[in-house]
Amino acid sequence: MLGFLFGRQTGLDDPLRLKRAESTRRALCLELNPDRNVERIHGNGINTIDIEVIEGRYMLSGGADGVVVIYDLENHSRKPHYTCKAVCTVGRSSRHVHKFSVETVQWYPHDTGMFISSSFDKTMKVWDTETLKPAEIFQFVENVYCHQMSPIARKHSLIAVGTKNPKVQLCDLKSGSCIQVLQGHRGEVLSVKWSPRYEYILATASTDSSVRLWDVRRASGSLFTLDQFNGDPSKSSSEAANTAHNGRVNGLCFTGDGLFLLTTGTDDRMRLWETATGKNTLVNYGKVVNESRKGLKFAVSQGCSLEFAFVPCGSSVAVYAVHSGELVTMLKGHYSNVDCCEFHPDYQELYSGGKDSNILAWIPTPRPPDIEEEQDSKKGGSQVALNPAFEDAWSSSDED
Amino acid sequence: MDHTQRERLSALVEELTTSGEPQLNPSKMKDVKKICKTSSDYIDHFYHLIMRQLAQEHAEIRFSALQMVNELFSRSHHFRTLLVSNFQGFLELTVETDPEQPLPPPREVARKLKILAIRTVEEWQASYGEAYKKLALGYHFLKQIKKVDFHDVQARTQAERKRQEEKQKRLERLYKDKVDKATKEMEESFQEIQESLTEIHSCLKLLAPHPVEFNLGDLEPAVASQTEQSTGPEHRGKATASAVDEEQPCCSKDLGSIRDEDEAEEENSEEDSDMEELPEEDAFIRHTGLMSYKYSLDLDLSADLKVKESEENEAVVNTVRDLHRLINTKHLPAVRSWVQVFTKAGVDQQLLRRAVDLRTSLEEALRRHDELHIEYRERERRVMKAAAEGEEDEDDFEEVPEKEGFEPHIPDHLRAEYGLEPLASSSSSSSSSLLKSVPAPGPAPPQMSKRRISEEEQDPTCAAATLRVLRERFPSARLSSGPCGNGKEMPSEERGKAPVVPFGLDLYYWGEEQPTAGKIIKNTSQHQFWVPHEVEEEVENEELSAQAKSRFITFSGSFQPVKHKCGAPMSNGSLCERQDRVKCPFHGPIIPRDELGRPRNPEDAARLEQERMRREEEQPDWRDPELMRDIEAATGEDLGSSKTFGKKGSKGKGKKRKYPNLTDLKQDANTSRSRLERKVFNKSSIRRVTDAMNRLDKRKHEKFSNQFNYALN
Repeated sequence: MLGFLFGRQTGLDDPLRLKRAESTRRALCLELNPDRNVERIHGNGINTIDIEVIEGRYMLSGGADGVVVIYDLENHSRKPHYTCKAVCTVGRSSRHVHKFSVETVQWYPHDTGMFISSSFDKTMKVWDTETLKPAEIFQFVENVYCHQMSPIARKHSLIAVGTKNPKVQLCDLKSGSCIQVLQGHRGEVLSVKWSPRYEYILATASTDSSVRLWDVRRASGSLFTLDQFNGDPSKSSSEAANTAHNGRVNGLCFTGDGLFLLTTGTDDRMRLWETATGKNTLVNYGKVVNESRKGLKFAVSQGCSLEFAFVPCGSSVAVYAVHSGELVTMLKGHYSNVDCCEFHPDYQELYSGGKDSNILAWIPTPRPPDIEEEQDSKKGGSQVALNPAFEDAWSSSDED
Repeated sequence: MDHTQRERLSALVEELTTSGEPQLNPSKMKDVKKICKTSSDYIDHFYHLIMRQLAQEHAEIRFSALQMVNELFSRSHHFRTLLVSNFQGFLELTVETDPEQPLPPPREVARKLKILAIRTVEEWQASYGEAYKKLALGYHFLKQIKKVDFHDVQARTQAERKRQEEKQKRLERLYKDKVDKATKEMEESFQEIQESLTEIHSCLKLLAPHPVEFNLGDLEPAVASQTEQSTGPEHRGKATASAVDEEQPCCSKDLGSIRDEDEAEEENSEEDSDMEELPEEDAFIRHTGLMSYKYSLDLDLSADLKVKESEENEAVVNTVRDLHRLINTKHLPAVRSWVQVFTKAGVDQQLLRRAVDLRTSLEEALRRHDELHIEYRERERRVMKAAAEGEEDEDDFEEVPEKEGFEPHIPDHLRAEYGLEPLASSSSSSSSSLLKSVPAPGPAPPQMSKRRISEEEQDPTCAAATLRVLRERFPSARLSSGPCGNGKEMPSEERGKAPVVPFGLDLYYWGEEQPTAGKIIKNTSQHQFWVPHEVEEEVENEELSAQAKSRFITFSGSFQPVKHKCGAPMSNGSLCERQDRVKCPFHGPIIPRDELGRPRNPEDAARLEQERMRREEEQPDWRDPELMRDIEAATGEDLGSSKTFGKKGSKGKGKKRKYPNLTDLKQDANTSRSRLERKVFNKSSIRRVTDAMNRLDKRKHEKFSNQFNYALN
């Protein structure tokens, strides 16, 4: 740390280097912090959360009860203990609330004044944050599994929607209608993701075990289908179609730079693909338990020298090093299956939501105070009193 | 970390968790805590051990492990962090949060385990919830997602508490009612009791002053008049005894007996009467002429003398008796019950003291009364009177004015006239010495009755007189009347003995000759032409005719309960209590045995011994008793080495079981269904059945192979 600081001071290092080193350190030491709570609003499991990128302050969550909640993550109380308050809620009493489980929520990428939620009640709603009323409602014929708006798109405002129908639909916010259909999948579309690098590139995952990459400007079909065997005919199955997994593919996530794509499937595997070529990098992550029947929302860290993937894995969150496939740690805190997690790129915090209706905040452990500091503080007598619960309580009767 | 300590910790954990008992052994648990206290390494080790035990598929092991976890959780921070870090797993193993991982059998213990676990988690949450985030999360998880109703546990305890409170309240109310009632009663009857107390006290004082006063006052003149110089009652009693002994030979039997009685009595009661009776005594002396025994006269105060005395103190004695009875039957029980109620309800001291005082004074009064032994005699007299009245209702001898003066001996024939005879007899019945010595009362009643009969006979209005007249007139009839009367009586007696039989044909025709009995009449043919050539119209059936005159009575004998017992010695030292008629199912034919259970007859003993030898020979040689005793000592389980015979298959298994204290889970599976399943789904039997069926099929195929519908399948 001091070395980095010195290098930074003398101008030898790129400012990014220090930042990356520190964020990596922080991302590696995530833990459940007793000082940080998230208010319990949801009465049921939490399917999806999203943190806006403008300020990094507000978090959306969508629950299985159809409720959408906006939390304020920032702590202005100047105390270490902080409970993230719900700023506003689209509760069950609201007229506009989703009837069934909310599957995906997403902030409008350029502004916090708007967010989009999609639900099993076959609708996707575009909300005005101020009034908490839907500005636009898209109606579908099938359950909506997922939707996404391109985070970088400047030239279009398309929302890709994956439903029970194999056709991926593209809805245009400008016109308020579904303007395009992407055909190619033969199963339910469980996950759609826009590339963070190219605004027209879209990846979709389906229950037909295939992952397709699309250029939405091309109407004829997908660019290519990811093949887990990299075109080796001896290993591939007799069917002509390429498969990404041997089961349903229910999770997609681009790395921050958009060069790689992570996919998870119900074959308990996670794969890393090069987006440019569609090549399987064959990184072995080991067994990634995945029993979700719906889409799985997992996150990849950003701004670290080593990128990490945070993958819900049963009742815990597994942290993998993306490129080496090494399992860094398991974050255990939930008491039921974890459905989604979201990484806060600014503070290197992780938020995870699970079926136990908890949103847990995983906060990096503060660096242990240096020895000199400790001595100082001891001199000053300002040492914070230890929580009495942390003390041992051996009764004297045990002595004899 | 010390290796031996570590080993010891493992052993302790295993022992404690497999004890199968609802409570942990405190001393062993203390050892565990002592070891764990020394270092957190041991706690790590303990944590791993205990998690392993918690994962065992046996609810009792988990239950004990949970108790141990609870013990350490409240003590060690390190253990808390360890456990909380894997709290999901812990909850899965104890609270059954994962429906796919149900708690293991036995079911009853599993239920207890779950309840205990929920309660424990709640307690932990209350004391450590803030400090350990995951603990709090787990608690909320249980509460909100698993809908574990912590309040239910609380509510249950609360309900229990409430029920208890209500019970307490009800009891208190009951007690209060009782106390109120008792207080009221006491208030009401206090006066009465006090009155009766004072009454009895004064009565007793009248009858016999308290020894202290008595010596000073009343006795003085008596003592002065007599030669006796005694000062205390006991002394005087001795003197009396000696006097009686002396005078025994020359005294009449009656007198002696009376003196004996007196001797037995308490002196106090007689003292005052003695003084009064002085002149009578003089008279007595005059009558008997026993001047030399003058000093003894004052002692014998006889029942006869009381006749006069009763006039004076009878009222007092009666009152005393009544009061005594009143106190005994009414006041004392009441007061006792009050005291009981008061002590139970715990009322204020004053009330209780009052009741206790009342009780003590009542008891004191009773005691004094008993000391006087008054009641004994009084009651006798009363009983006697009642008896006399009962006996002699008809004759009005009581009306006869009592004679003045003492009559030491009354001839038997005059006794009734004196109205004294019953007294003597009844008093004799009470005191044994008197009974022996009094000759008169025995024969008296028959005489009386005879006399009465003769009197009645003289009365012409009486039936007896008529009878006498009749008897005189027909002496022969009178003679025969005895047997005749007997004849009349006898049938009734015999009738009682005679068996009752249901009514039947034989009774219907009893004593009659029946012409048609046993005769079968055959109908002649109705046919016009075809007539059998020889028709015997009547056939006599002897059997039938005999039946009409006789009766079958099945004699089945009567049940006689078995009086003997098997009496064979059993392993527990007692004798066999079975009461079989011929043969005990356990100990063979019943033979006479002595009180130790040994056969009385030597040949029986020899036979039994032979049988025993044979059985021992049959025993397998692996059942070496010494080896078994060793095993027993090691395992602490009774394998029955003391028993020298009997099948042992099931018990021998005991030593194979690793943890004998735990409930055997496999035993539960030993139901009739499972046993049948074992037999039916046995591999070999299934194979056999399928073979047989295949063979059948094949044969069918062969037989009908030319028919297409059989050929196809």
